[in-house]
Amino acid sequence: MAKTKRPVPGRLRHNIVLIVFTVAFVVVAGRASYLQIFSADYLKREGNARYLRVSQDNAVRGMIVDRMGTPLAISTPVDSIWAHPYTFNSARGNIKELARLLSMSVYELNKLATKNANREFMYLRRHVTPKVAQRIKAMEYPGVFLQREYRRYYPMGSVFGHVVGFTNIDDVGQEGLELSYEPLLRATPGKKRVLKDRRGKIVETVESISLPIAGRDLKVSLDRRIQYLAYRELKAAVKKHNAKSASAIVLDAETGEILAMVNEPGFNPNSRLERKSQLFRNRAVTDVLEPGSTLKPFTIAAALESGRYTPGTWVNTSPGFYKIGSKTIRDSHNYGRLTVAGVIQKSSNVGAAKIALTIGKQRLWDILTSVGFGQRTGSALPGEATGSLRNPDRWVTIDQAAMSYGYGISVTPIQLARAYTALANQGNLVQLTMLPGQEPVYTENVMSKSTATQIIQMLELAAGSQGTGNAAQVRFYRVAGKTGTVHKLVNGQYSDDDYVALFAGVAPVSNPKLVMVVTVDGPRGDQYYGGQIAAPVFANVIAGAMRLLNIPPDAGSKYKKQIVKVKKSGPA
Amino acid sequence: MIAATHSNHQARAAGSEQARWDPVLLFTFTALVSIGMLMVYSASLPVAIQTTGNGFSIAFRHLIHLAIGLSLMFFVMHTRVRYWQVMGPYLLLGGIALLILVLIPGFGVHVNGSSRWLNLGLFNVQPSEFVKLFVVIYMSGYLVRRKDRLREFVPGIVMISLVVAIIGVLLLQEPDLGSLAVISVTVLAMMFLAGVRFLHFIMIMATGIGGMVILTMVAPYRMNRIAGFIDPWADPFNTGFQLVQALIAFGRGEWFGVGLGASIQKLSYLPAAHTDFLLAILAEELGLLGVLTVIILFAILVFRAMKIAQLAEFAGQIFAARLCQGIAILLGVQALINMGVNMGLLPTKGLTLPLLSAGGSSLIVSSISVGLLLLVEREIRTKSWPQKKSA
Repeated sequence: MAKTKRPVPGRLRHNIVLIVFTVAFVVVAGRASYLQIFSADYLKREGNARYLRVSQDNAVRGMIVDRMGTPLAISTPVDSIWAHPYTFNSARGNIKELARLLSMSVYELNKLATKNANREFMYLRRHVTPKVAQRIKAMEYPGVFLQREYRRYYPMGSVFGHVVGFTNIDDVGQEGLELSYEPLLRATPGKKRVLKDRRGKIVETVESISLPIAGRDLKVSLDRRIQYLAYRELKAAVKKHNAKSASAIVLDAETGEILAMVNEPGFNPNSRLERKSQLFRNRAVTDVLEPGSTLKPFTIAAALESGRYTPGTWVNTSPGFYKIGSKTIRDSHNYGRLTVAGVIQKSSNVGAAKIALTIGKQRLWDILTSVGFGQRTGSALPGEATGSLRNPDRWVTIDQAAMSYGYGISVTPIQLARAYTALANQGNLVQLTMLPGQEPVYTENVMSKSTATQIIQMLELAAGSQGTGNAAQVRFYRVAGKTGTVHKLVNGQYSDDDYVALFAGVAPVSNPKLVMVVTVDGPRGDQYYGGQIAAPVFANVIAGAMRLLNIPPDAGSKYKKQIVKVKKSGPA
Repeated sequence: MIAATHSNHQARAAGSEQARWDPVLLFTFTALVSIGMLMVYSASLPVAIQTTGNGFSIAFRHLIHLAIGLSLMFFVMHTRVRYWQVMGPYLLLGGIALLILVLIPGFGVHVNGSSRWLNLGLFNVQPSEFVKLFVVIYMSGYLVRRKDRLREFVPGIVMISLVVAIIGVLLLQEPDLGSLAVISVTVLAMMFLAGVRFLHFIMIMATGIGGMVILTMVAPYRMNRIAGFIDPWADPFNTGFQLVQALIAFGRGEWFGVGLGASIQKLSYLPAAHTDFLLAILAEELGLLGVLTVIILFAILVFRAMKIAQLAEFAGQIFAARLCQGIAILLGVQALINMGVNMGLLPTKGLTLPLLSAGGSSLIVSSISVGLLLLVEREIRTKSWPQKKSA
């Protein structure tokens, strides 16, 4: 092992290799510094774009309750099943079992996942039953997760179907109160920034952006018991008379609170399958009709206000028809000479027309406008119609005459009900509301107190044994109301066999508490008069409502006698 | 950590100080495998939980491999350098046999489109990792045997090229271009250090580079990797996916990292997080500080090995010198390629980071390599080789 003097042959090359290595290590270290210090912001942003996501915490929507606090719409927590398509597609698992739990075929499930392959989220099934949710959770199928959502439930079903409305699957109000009070009821989901792994699983909550805010509860003026009564009676009437549709509204006459509002045909808001758009119409506010004779009290009110008429003024309705130009106004019988009160009681079109032509069209228009026809009621229900009340400048004589018995004007059932509050409240029109316990807002003196009282007395006669609305009578209570039987306009002609039967009334007469309007569209039986079809609904509902509201009876059991007594007492 | 239990007369005569193993090598080795163990555990946790349900499963396997590696290293340290010189050709033949075996269906395990592994029941063996070391051992012997004729064309170039070509053809069947690249560069550098003519060296290097380019161009998946490498952001969800995720990991790390265990990229974003892309996860969790530490440790390892080679050459132990040079280059080049790939400096190769990455064969072979370095250093320091041999 003698050391040789010759230079080690590899010395230069050894150093070259060392230099190359040194350069390589320095380059790698430089690159690391460049990436980790100078490009860090850019790379972090790129990274965040890949895994920072905003996640939602759903909150509960506000409850809708009736005036006694009975729930009409409540949200119940429910789970929805969703998947991260990428992870789901690349996962192996018991897909058969999963598909079965989701009530899908394996083929459908795979097709759905393939279609959404480039997304980060897909619903597999929304709002599953707790049992299914639990099973799927227990499966721990890769990429399949549960999301807490809320399902709207309507304990009263179709009874409150139209007025309460419903929400869509995303918890947004679509119809009825659910729609009109959406801003109040709406739950604001909480938002938080989360870090997700590539399989969509939340790894960490980075920050809370906003907390979930539950929607506020809404207490409405509706009374579950009266609503149910109205629902039951209206449904029975529609069935009995084979009618196309019908509506009924019950108002608190003093406060303007809407106590009941039902329509036929109805639907069950709990069943998505039953939700067909033609069933959703809340006809009581959305549909207009010609009010017919139910408008006559306002014609007479205008006459009394003019000072030219008293309830006892005689009007000659003979011979039972009245020609104005080419048109003829008819009564069903020749009533001969009638008092003004008799015109209401017998519902004489000729009488009403003759009176209207003597008082001037402006006066008639004034009173119809002041009781709110042609204006929305502010009931806060979606899709409310305005109705139409033409300007008197454009009325010709026949228009003025027809208007007096409710033709040539279109109103909604709810407008008609509001107008009757002016009669019930001694001349003060009350503003309608869905919210209970508010201070009532009145439009005072749309007619004088005495006029209102006299009209009510006439209406009591109309609902009496000699009146057209005698079927509206209620045991132990005095009621007042007016029937209406309207020929429907079909293709510009008044039809001879298509009617709307109406009844609008007030009870009890001694201290009016309730106003109710019933409209039945297209009865296809033997009967079609408002007094035959709508008045009994009124009577049955009011009879029940009087007891439910603990209103003391104001008539003896022999109500026939009672009417005689009223006649004797005369105008107050 | 490895106590000096080896006894020989020179050591005894020179005192206990002389008998110890090289502390620099021991320190860097211990540091690198410890960092590796820690990072493999951290990086493999999500994928281990997901595949086996046990978060420690991959780390445990790594620990077993480390134990096997340490045992074999310990064994190697108690052999003699001259044995390896004798064994060289046999080891190479054995290695080639394994490379053939891996290609035979039934023996080879097919993973991700390549058959690189032999199934030995308990674990898989990757013959190409062993072949890398065997080529170095064989080549060291060859360069010693033919040291007087290395400046001639046939023994200096053709014979060596032939050996590399045979191995290359077999590796390309797997395919494992990365290992071929490492072997080629290592052999080339060994020839350069052994003193082949500079002209020959340039020729063979040009051939090698040309070969690599052609091999890349004929295989679409390699072209994709190149495309993904040149502009990973052009198609970050497809060809550039892995690299983009690795770069993001580096960026997230910044100076001191997001903290051990806090990596997000390992949560199924970065494929091969605990094997080929371990450095990216290390960069994310331990930051630039951790990356520089690893780079410096590898630099120390390479430079120390080269220093030992130089000492051996001074001592006239040419085989030992070539062996150390080969191991230095083998470990250094593979580490640099892996780091370069992780940082987007080089196109993606299926190469591990020696001593750190999970991957049993790589860890075992790297440990044996360091064992050989320790063995050479000790023999040179204690002059414990047969006196009949003269330089």
